[in-house]
Amino acid sequence: MYIENEEDYKFAACTYFARNHPGETCGSNGLPLTPSSVTILSRAQRLLNIEHPNLCTYLDVIRGKHERIIVVAEVIGKSLKEITSKFTYQEITNIGRQLANGLNFLHDQNITHRTLADDNILLDNNGRVKLFNFGMYYMTGSGEEVSFPLGLPKYLSPETILKGGGPAADVWSFGIILLELCIGKLWHNLKPGPILRRILTLVHANNPAERIAREHDCLDTYKEVPENLRNIIEMCLKIYPSERATFATLVDKLSQIDDKELVTVKAERGLMGCKLQYLYHWWQLAGGDIQAELKKNCLIKNTPPILSMPIAILLDGCTIGGKTGALYDRRIAKYSLDLLKIRLNHIPPHDYYPLMHERKKEYDAVLLPKIIRERDTEYQFYRLLLFQRLLHGYPFTAPYIRAEAEIDIPPLVRGDVWAALLGVVGDIQDQYERIDKETPTPTDRQIDVDIPRCHQYCWLLSGADGHRALKRLLKAWLLTNPQYVYWQGLDSLTAPFLYLNFCNEARAFACLSAFVPKFLHKFFLKDNSFVIKEYLAKFWQMTAFHEPELATHLHEINFVPELFAIPWFLTMFSHVFPLHKIVHLWDALLVEGPALPLFMGVGILRQLRDTLLESGFNECILLFSDLPEIDIGECVKESIAMCRSSPRSISYRRFTNEAELKDPMDVVEIPMETLFTEICPRINLSDFFSLICQNKCCVIDIRSNLLYEKSCIEGSINVPFSGVQLGHVSQRALGLPAQQALQNAARQAHTVVVAGHANDDSARLFSEYLVKCAVARVCILHGGIPALQANVPSLFVTPPKKN
Amino acid sequence: MATNRSGAAQRPNGAPQTKVCQFKLVLLGESAVGKSSLVLRFVKGQFHEYQESTIGAAFLTQTVCLDDITVKFEIWDTAGQERYHSLAPMYYRGAQAAIVVYDITNQDTFGRAKNWVKELQRQASPSIVIALAGNKSDLAAKRMVEFEEAQAYADENGLLFMETSAKTAMNVNDIFLAIANKLPKSESGGGGGGGGAGAGARRLNDGDAPRASSCCK
Ligand SMILES: Nc1nc2c(ncn2[C@@H]2O[C@H](COP(=O)(O)OP(=O)(O)OP(=O)(O)O)[C@@H](O)[C@H]2O)c(=O)[nH]1
Ligand SMILES: [Mg+2]
Repeated sequence: MYIENEEDYKFAACTYFARNHPGETCGSNGLPLTPSSVTILSRAQRLLNIEHPNLCTYLDVIRGKHERIIVVAEVIGKSLKEITSKFTYQEITNIGRQLANGLNFLHDQNITHRTLADDNILLDNNGRVKLFNFGMYYMTGSGEEVSFPLGLPKYLSPETILKGGGPAADVWSFGIILLELCIGKLWHNLKPGPILRRILTLVHANNPAERIAREHDCLDTYKEVPENLRNIIEMCLKIYPSERATFATLVDKLSQIDDKELVTVKAERGLMGCKLQYLYHWWQLAGGDIQAELKKNCLIKNTPPILSMPIAILLDGCTIGGKTGALYDRRIAKYSLDLLKIRLNHIPPHDYYPLMHERKKEYDAVLLPKIIRERDTEYQFYRLLLFQRLLHGYPFTAPYIRAEAEIDIPPLVRGDVWAALLGVVGDIQDQYERIDKETPTPTDRQIDVDIPRCHQYCWLLSGADGHRALKRLLKAWLLTNPQYVYWQGLDSLTAPFLYLNFCNEARAFACLSAFVPKFLHKFFLKDNSFVIKEYLAKFWQMTAFHEPELATHLHEINFVPELFAIPWFLTMFSHVFPLHKIVHLWDALLVEGPALPLFMGVGILRQLRDTLLESGFNECILLFSDLPEIDIGECVKESIAMCRSSPRSISYRRFTNEAELKDPMDVVEIPMETLFTEICPRINLSDFFSLICQNKCCVIDIRSNLLYEKSCIEGSINVPFSGVQLGHVSQRALGLPAQQALQNAARQAHTVVVAGHANDDSARLFSEYLVKCAVARVCILHGGIPALQANVPSLFVTPPKKN
Repeated sequence: MATNRSGAAQRPNGAPQTKVCQFKLVLLGESAVGKSSLVLRFVKGQFHEYQESTIGAAFLTQTVCLDDITVKFEIWDTAGQERYHSLAPMYYRGAQAAIVVYDITNQDTFGRAKNWVKELQRQASPSIVIALAGNKSDLAAKRMVEFEEAQAYADENGLLFMETSAKTAMNVNDIFLAIANKLPKSESGGGGGGGGAGAGARRLNDGDAPRASSCCK
């Protein structure tokens, strides 16, 4: 059997309208009803993840104007409807076997097809059979969300016509398909009404298949069908659904008759061998536009509004008349990939098979902002192929993934990459399934009122499915973390994971479970006040370290982080920014680790620097109540730079998940009360030692001249604290050598380390003074000179006598 | 950097005839009763169905004109979840007015409102003007707290009381206006604490006793 004019289409789109909620727009809670299109889209997410050789992979479900839904899915060859030539019985058996395979898979997933028809069964020249748009009934919530009937009349089972059928209805439709393949198209020129009546009269027939054949004067033809095939048809066409065979049985029986190997098509090489999802993605990046093409093919018609106005509107909001066009167009528009092929024409064949340890090519695009890279066809082509390989090798490739993620993460695989960066492994599905997510708890009320307010501009999260999933995730997390409680904000924190793993709740859960200990250790304790206070104090110190002028101003107007930054850190900014910004922030977070958020906070302040500097308390706080546009790309870049250029110990926090530091060289811990009084962070001896060795710091020794001249750190400057007039805020007041050293440090971005006695206030006061003088990168040597003398005596010299 | 601690000092010459009074107002009440929605309606005239929950607190300002004076509200909208309770004193300390909000469709939120009133009476400035707002009055069909019940409670405790709806805007401006009218505006004269920038913050941070009840300039 050969199909003529088979063209090289890879995917196709079809379109229909979701039901409009007439009249009432609010539910009983006063919130607007979820539009049907949103419900459909969130249900369809599951379909996007289904892959099976006999099912056309769904690629996209799009919401158009006026509740229009556009479904994009793989296509092959032609539909049974388009193919007019006859099949041999052997071919029919093989087609049946493949169909049954696909349908059996769907039924295993608890998905009923319900709209099986000759126009959605596709066949290609290799003999492959695939079901196109098999999820219509599923995505529309058993047809609830659309206002047209689903399914072609002649394939409907009697019980479907009467009261709506279950999965067994698919078996009937399958039987009709097989019968049609054997004896030709049924009820050819009849209108739907008469067809339905014919089907219903079959109820009295002993053998509906024979009865249909007789009605079509084909009983003889039917009798010629090999008995085993006829048996199969008759096992399907039983009036009582419970008497019909299941697809599992049918697959068995059919493979007994058709013992040939199922068609396997040799994987194509090059572009056409790439994952269809990738091809579709690249095609879109190359300028492919599903909606525009649909319009060109007249599947979307734009009727002038005047023609589509209703004739009357009832008081309840229902409209009469004015309906335009069909609600469901059975036609499909096919797309070729020519656009993409031309775009990627020049790519040499071996680039399709990147090697992961090979030093990768440098692309010019790397220099462009991430959002532009994300839209560059060729760049995404290389990145996706590389990440595909790397992810395939996870967890062994974890270090490679991290290294590549540092450059950027292709949006299409962000969910996978995040899971890898968070070290998610093992049977997460099973673990998640075991958790009780249903039993009511006292926290439910709060969760219930928060979820409908959480990132609701994102349609995925705004539908009922999204709400339920978010609730399950939160409940599961709370149950598995009994030491923690629900703090408002946990919902926002969970949202990005759900958003990226909408159909893989278990992975969303695993990511959340890995994220919290890493970034928000102890934040969700019932009493978290110390944890938050410490975090905010460190944030304020980092601000003083990198933005001394700003910090001084904010200190002066008493603009404290408690007033605005709690949601920043408690939710890692997920309560503050929309999802498209959060993903970029978190891309960086997951690679850089738990110190980064502090610097992101500073990065945000830095972007608002000019406004903040000239504002008083009220204007400042207003600025943060309604955070203005922040350039996230810029903020991420700056914060990474700050984070990497800061000695690690200055951002040390006690409340982390990291091992306790015991070595005197590493310690920087101070009592909380002390921490809250210090504007500048402390640096530990190890970091100090490295800075000295790298010649990257400016040491100011504030002990008395006497002590200094006995023994001092080589290269340090002596500014005895007793001589400093704290009221006189000017670098010049410190004397020329100090002033020059500080200027030099500023120019080279060196760290300024204040070294004094072990336990007096002078280092704190002096470092504060430097910040007021707008000196950047000021920190205090932890333990002061005595600690250094005890641990690294080799750094000390006797200074040459002046004069 | 000089901070404008006594707002009057920086007033431009030829100040308008009308007196400007600045008041700190705090919103308290159970989560999701509509505190943020009320503020948004009052300040921006908007209503968002999907108003995000408040973490910590949010700050907004709005000015209303009475006959001869302009009243500027500095509004602290707090987080409703009980867990954030420990932050609340930071916001109501030094406040001259408070709106305690409950949701008329939920009896528990009314109970929580009563607790807030008690706490304010105990802990806040003795002269604080408290208003009780029964919000979501547009959902009257699902009412669980009777108007009379709340009115009686308000009368007993000397509170202003109105049923409001952030959604339909019913009584939203009115409740703020009623508060503005009830706030003492003249007796403190020039000595009325700092308006201007730093004032709010200073009151928030210093544990010290609330300042004079108003701050007209
Ligand atoms: N029908 C109706 N809904 C309202 C009204 N006011 C608020 N809402 C809704 O109630 C929900 C909660 O409102 P918010 O303003 O966020 O409540 P909140 O008191 O600030 O809550 P927290 O920030 O959690 O303390 C939102 O979905 C609002 O859309 C109202 O007057 N009528
Ligand atoms: Mg709020």
